[in-house]
Amino acid sequence: MKVLVLNCGSSSVKYQLIETSLEQIEANADVVIAKGSVDRIGTGSAVHTFQPAGRAKITESGEILEHREALTQIVRMLTHAEKGVISSPGEIDAVGHRVVHGGEKFTTSALASPEAIAAVEACVPLAPLHNPPNLRGYEAAKRILPDVPHALVFDTAYHQTMPPVSYLYGLPYVLYSRHKIRRYGFHGTSHRFVGWRSRHLLGRPREETRLVTCHLGNGASVCAIDHGRSVDTSMGFTPLEGLLMGTRSGDLDASVVFHVMHEEDLTEHQVTTMLNKHSGLFGLSGVSNDMRELLAEEAKGHERAKLAIDLFCYRLRKYVAAYAGAMGGVDAVIFTGGIGENSPAIRARSLSGLEFMGIEVDAEKNAAAIGTEADVSAAGARVKTLVIPTNEELIIARDTVRLVAGAENP
Amino acid sequence: MEFRKITLVGGGGFMGRSLAQKMASSGIDVTVLEVSEERIAQAREAMANSLDDELRKWGITASEKKVVLSRVTFTTDPTQAADCDLAIEAVPEDLALKQAVMLRLDAVCRPETVFVTSTSTLSVTEIAAASGRSDRVVGMHFMHPVTRSKIVEIVRGSETSDETFAKATALARTLEKTMIEVFEYPGYVVTRAVVPFVNEAMHIVMEGVASAEDVDLALRLGFEFKMGPLEYADRVGLDTMLGWMEHLFRELGDFKYRPCPLLRKMVRAGHLGRKAGRGFFEWKGNERVRSEKEVSR
Repeated sequence: MKVLVLNCGSSSVKYQLIETSLEQIEANADVVIAKGSVDRIGTGSAVHTFQPAGRAKITESGEILEHREALTQIVRMLTHAEKGVISSPGEIDAVGHRVVHGGEKFTTSALASPEAIAAVEACVPLAPLHNPPNLRGYEAAKRILPDVPHALVFDTAYHQTMPPVSYLYGLPYVLYSRHKIRRYGFHGTSHRFVGWRSRHLLGRPREETRLVTCHLGNGASVCAIDHGRSVDTSMGFTPLEGLLMGTRSGDLDASVVFHVMHEEDLTEHQVTTMLNKHSGLFGLSGVSNDMRELLAEEAKGHERAKLAIDLFCYRLRKYVAAYAGAMGGVDAVIFTGGIGENSPAIRARSLSGLEFMGIEVDAEKNAAAIGTEADVSAAGARVKTLVIPTNEELIIARDTVRLVAGAENP
Repeated sequence: MEFRKITLVGGGGFMGRSLAQKMASSGIDVTVLEVSEERIAQAREAMANSLDDELRKWGITASEKKVVLSRVTFTTDPTQAADCDLAIEAVPEDLALKQAVMLRLDAVCRPETVFVTSTSTLSVTEIAAASGRSDRVVGMHFMHPVTRSKIVEIVRGSETSDETFAKATALARTLEKTMIEVFEYPGYVVTRAVVPFVNEAMHIVMEGVASAEDVDLALRLGFEFKMGPLEYADRVGLDTMLGWMEHLFRELGDFKYRPCPLLRKMVRAGHLGRKAGRGFFEWKGNERVRSEKEVSR
């Protein structure tokens, strides 16, 4: 079936039309028919980029003031007589929506229903920047494609299997019971996908596999997967916690926030922006949040670029070792995300020093693995090191198909 | 209710710039109508400086600064300002001037366009009377700096319609301001309450009871204010403060609004506060110069 996958931000919609089915999932033979995005929604100069598979990219610009108009444009483009890829909107069998926060309510992806939507709305205070545009996108798509099933796929759902020792903070318990202050974790679809894929590649049953998955992009997180379930992850109440990221600080003593607010006379907004947009690799290096640029600068002798990269790798190494400890061992470490898939240097530097745990990387295999699935472990290493490209749109399409067919998540 | 494009008359002034910046930061395209190219150049530079300050405080990113600046268009041509969802005037507090602006806006804008006056002391009803659309005029008294303050007073003139009032409420929401409704009366709530407070602080200094620094320190710490009344006066501008006091004194006739002689003396001497580099305190750019004694406290 053809699934339209939507990822709606506050002023953008990213989409893919994917042909998939239970059989195609099994054979890893899903087909992306077209992908595209609408950016700068709400302005007179919105940009719609459309890429039909195997054909030239099309870019159009014009006034698009809200999500419903963007969705109308997307369906019009998909069904356009010359530019399009399907003949009528009726060919779209289902819509899969990315939703950032499902709170404690959603432990898996779910079909949209009035109750489910009300539950997503109830999560708005937990993700005030993300859930509202996700909901606006859903409402728009529901109006334009009212007769097909709509599925909701959450960033947080996969981590709902974490035990209280992982998800609680050492705060007064009443904050959890009253305001649901706890660790939720994000990138759930990606960790779930590479976890599943790695077990498939390793030929191991989920009951006997302990994995540490590292999703390293501009946002980055690590996940401990035991028995196919997330048992810990490095992002917390918001995506700010955990690893050093492109522009986010990651783990931090909370007292620093109040001290800095006082010393620099900052507002709540300013300090929040500082931690989320001015910190991390960018803040430390003063150069860039892009790992490729930082590696290039480091090679030229830039000291703070090197410092930022070292800090990134060091913190990742600590998390990998900690999660292995949490699970009483580890069978494979998986790298995914832009940096994880494309940066052999970061993979090698992050894992160096963990040989005592049986983690050893083969330099040649590692250097060759760029953007492709690969086993980069040294011969005879007790712990496998794998590179597995992630594909969040594909997971959303697959979850949608499974939900529509009434099949279980893998 | 969505606001896409707003015209701001007199957007080059202190309040206007801050309002333009806040609206642009909230995703609204702003057309700033000014009287001369010189004023435009000043306003543009001041806005860029203000965004640079925010960038230094980590409140925005470099690309966000660009986006905000790209949303603001400056012009001296009133016809360019005609196409808008709403028009706001932020010209100086002078009834005849504000009425003239209303008249000019009415000539170019669509009949349904709502006009907002940002007056802090004048009568919305009187200003609206010149607009040719009294039911579509409403007062919104923003606090300076608009980029940071969280409150706006919305003022109904005697003819203001419910739809017009709702539009002002929607704008307040878009700009993330809490609003209170106030009835037309000199000084509304904020100005009327702060004027005697600031005036009393000035009297305390004039009478030699305590230094300006200590008066502010005591009131700031005593009541958990963000800043003391004298620093507030310096930031607003002592000439502006004197104007508020004179207006309230004239309108309400009560001695509690009579400007402190020390304030008059300082205004005459040109010690106008932050913008002059000197008022009750010394200023360097936007920052107050703090004594070692104060810092160590």
